[in-house]
Amino acid sequence: MISRSTQNTIFTGLTCAAFFICTGLLCGLIITIIFKGLPALSLSFLFSPAQDFGASGGILYQILGTLLMVIVAAIFVVPIALGSAIYSSEYLRSHRKKRILELSLLALNGVPSITFGLFGLILFVNILGTGISWMVGSIILAIMMVPTTTLSTLQSMQSLPMTYRENGYALGFNRSQVIRYIVIPQGLQGLVTGLLIGLARAIGETAPIMFIATAFSGVTVPISVVEPVSTLPTHILSLTQQATNPDALKNAWGASLVLIILVFIISLSAFYARSKLKNLSQRV
Amino acid sequence: MHLSHPKTPTAHASHLEFHKLRTLPSRSFIYSYATLSALTATLLVVLILGLLAYQSGSAIFEANDSLLGSVWSPAKNQYGILPMLYGSLIVMVLAMGLALPIGILTALYISETRSETVRRLSKTMLEILAGIPSIVYGLIGVAFLSLWVADIFYLQTGRVILTASLLLAIMILPTIITLTEDAFSNVATPYRENAYALGLYRFEVIKEVILPQAKGDVIGAAFLALGRALGETMAVMLVIGSLDRIPTPAYNILSSAQTITSKLGREIAESAFGSTHFNVLVLMSLILVVITLSLTGLAHILFKSAGSND
Amino acid sequence: MTKQNAIISLSCSLIALICISCSAPNHVSVSGSTTVLPTVSKAAESFKMETGQTIIVNAGGSGAGFNQLGEGQTDIGMMSRDITQDELDRFPNLNFKIIPIGTDAVVPVVSSEIYAAGIRTLSFKDLDAIYSGTVDNWSAFGGPDKAILVIDKEASSGTRHTFMEIVMGDKNALAPGADLVLGANNEEQTALAQSDSAIGMLSHAWMNADVIGLSIKQNGVLIDPTLENIRSGVFPITRDLNLIIRSDIRPEAQAFIDYMLSAEGQKHVANSGYVEKRP
Repeated sequence: MISRSTQNTIFTGLTCAAFFICTGLLCGLIITIIFKGLPALSLSFLFSPAQDFGASGGILYQILGTLLMVIVAAIFVVPIALGSAIYSSEYLRSHRKKRILELSLLALNGVPSITFGLFGLILFVNILGTGISWMVGSIILAIMMVPTTTLSTLQSMQSLPMTYRENGYALGFNRSQVIRYIVIPQGLQGLVTGLLIGLARAIGETAPIMFIATAFSGVTVPISVVEPVSTLPTHILSLTQQATNPDALKNAWGASLVLIILVFIISLSAFYARSKLKNLSQRV
Repeated sequence: MHLSHPKTPTAHASHLEFHKLRTLPSRSFIYSYATLSALTATLLVVLILGLLAYQSGSAIFEANDSLLGSVWSPAKNQYGILPMLYGSLIVMVLAMGLALPIGILTALYISETRSETVRRLSKTMLEILAGIPSIVYGLIGVAFLSLWVADIFYLQTGRVILTASLLLAIMILPTIITLTEDAFSNVATPYRENAYALGLYRFEVIKEVILPQAKGDVIGAAFLALGRALGETMAVMLVIGSLDRIPTPAYNILSSAQTITSKLGREIAESAFGSTHFNVLVLMSLILVVITLSLTGLAHILFKSAGSND
Repeated sequence: MTKQNAIISLSCSLIALICISCSAPNHVSVSGSTTVLPTVSKAAESFKMETGQTIIVNAGGSGAGFNQLGEGQTDIGMMSRDITQDELDRFPNLNFKIIPIGTDAVVPVVSSEIYAAGIRTLSFKDLDAIYSGTVDNWSAFGGPDKAILVIDKEASSGTRHTFMEIVMGDKNALAPGADLVLGANNEEQTALAQSDSAIGMLSHAWMNADVIGLSIKQNGVLIDPTLENIRSGVFPITRDLNLIIRSDIRPEAQAFIDYMLSAEGQKHVANSGYVEKRP
């Protein structure tokens, strides 16, 4: 029988070890990506088109394609998230219905990303006949972003004290005016936070878009909505498959670093938006 | 958060008036717009499940005999999905087995032994870790991890089940740590203080007080992480070896295999829309979604019941 | 509120802009076999420089190329094999046309370590034994005592069809001996180079210092995988690299097909390591 204090020491040692394993993993990952990626980074890498299947040249059109796709996805998701949040917070009175909306959003959030790609392939590319196009990719990414954005918007709308709404009615506002001038401005903070969190996830997604929105080479800035683009994640995928070619591997690390920097910028903005949101509710 | 101001008669009246307003039928533009959005958002998941079910329905009849076999050869009308199911299962379980102990211990370290600063710092680091896209993990897997695994175990190739599980374990760690740490921190301080006051060691406090209280949430976190692991595609697809075969012996984690997601990632583009091949792939995806959603659902039920214990 | 109105009007105008630009695509898209892809990509780049016409090239494999062409998602399919009857049956109302743009050999390739250890040639029977799993050690062929890492390719790959048809007599033959199944040529090349005991099947153009092609022993004669032997038809495992079009092809796409068959386009075929159709 091990003494109580020995047990305690062993246990403390174990938790300590686990913590340092995790920290080491994280630091190792980040340092690897930065050290491998930095040598590839340069202005000409960022601003010139890919050549020789990505092994030489840069990633200009991949960056543009990625940004185009997620920005349009964000534009799609805003009205739906805002509307659903308003409906649930201002019009829905039955708790059961609120729960149904919340559960279906959580379920949507749990659907594996490759399934979204398959869904887009069946519905848009085949049944609706759009062909492989960046717009389909944007729509699919938007669908993936709906749960985070809606729930975050809803949360901040529900944190608005009833008295605010009542004050609005006291000023002679009707229902629409209360929503427009009181509820939506409050919800916008949550909307922005949720949207940014969703974007940070969407921008790195490969599986949902690789069959439906992207092409291997020859893409520039799309002129119509039914053209494929090239994106950073799919570009990294094709470079990873040629991992023994040192030039391709170097560019894969470079593209990964750029992608991760984009994710961090978006995440940091989300942190900022969230802290502003906190301040607002504390003020209330 | 309901009415916080003093209940004067006027306030009461306005409250009544307010509720009357709430129940009034509203035909405004905002109402129709909000209803439409909410309907869309609710129906999206139904639409996805319905479309997958519709598309894969015929697969069950077209490939009936072979579906539960272990031979996959569309050119010979053999659509055995067992190797993929098995691959998904073993990769998921192994990743969980690796990540859960480390994750829980780390969460305990963060919540029980250190200051608020460490806690905030760790949380930020975890969000960074969670933000790394899966394709980057795939690159790390191909460029480093698979080579290391091959060297350490003297394998011919490092594209094996173990490599995929290791990558997945790293990928689900943030989810596990964040959620379990929340669970531990949510255990009310008085319980802890009483236990310490009784002269218990930290280990005993954790074992006797914290863990029993946080059990529901911890299991919930594990289910949620299992769902994540099951649905992950890119990293697994690049390092699993894509061999449609159950390893011999079945527990041989140093051989190549195939998961549902890697199968989908590699073969969807090759199969013709509407063919039996395509429909069976859709069926696999449907199975994947159903399992993932069940795991997620279980997780939320556990979170909820754990929450009501307080 | 002005901020909000601005957001709403901005999104409206963007959606409107998108709808306006929702016209027919003016690019030509090509997709399919990763063996044909490098040639076509390079040709597409110079074609664009000459004519200004954008050609978008996508990978996916021969099977994907054909399916996308049949479904109207692409203008031109790339295939490193013939169309199978099964594939033709999927689109009974369409007329497809095969346009060979070059010839390639599928070569059994090994990791450089195995080649250095003395394995220089294998017969069809040896290859059959390796892929069906009856032999699993290099020592059986006079090589080192190392297990063979057998690399197979995805089922609809043109390289696999050609190799299996000639070596095992059935283009859809199962390979119970396989240890690893990969997709694109690049991916397989990487796995071969990373291993020190692997065998795989690769297009002639993907051989390099780490991935070395074996000679084929046929009737006691050694046949090296050289361009001359492929050109003269002596090397036994060859196939045509094809572009597939439908009879309702658009003129822009036809212009690119004509370019591929011109002396200019055929230069890219030769530069990629294949035998041109029109020397």
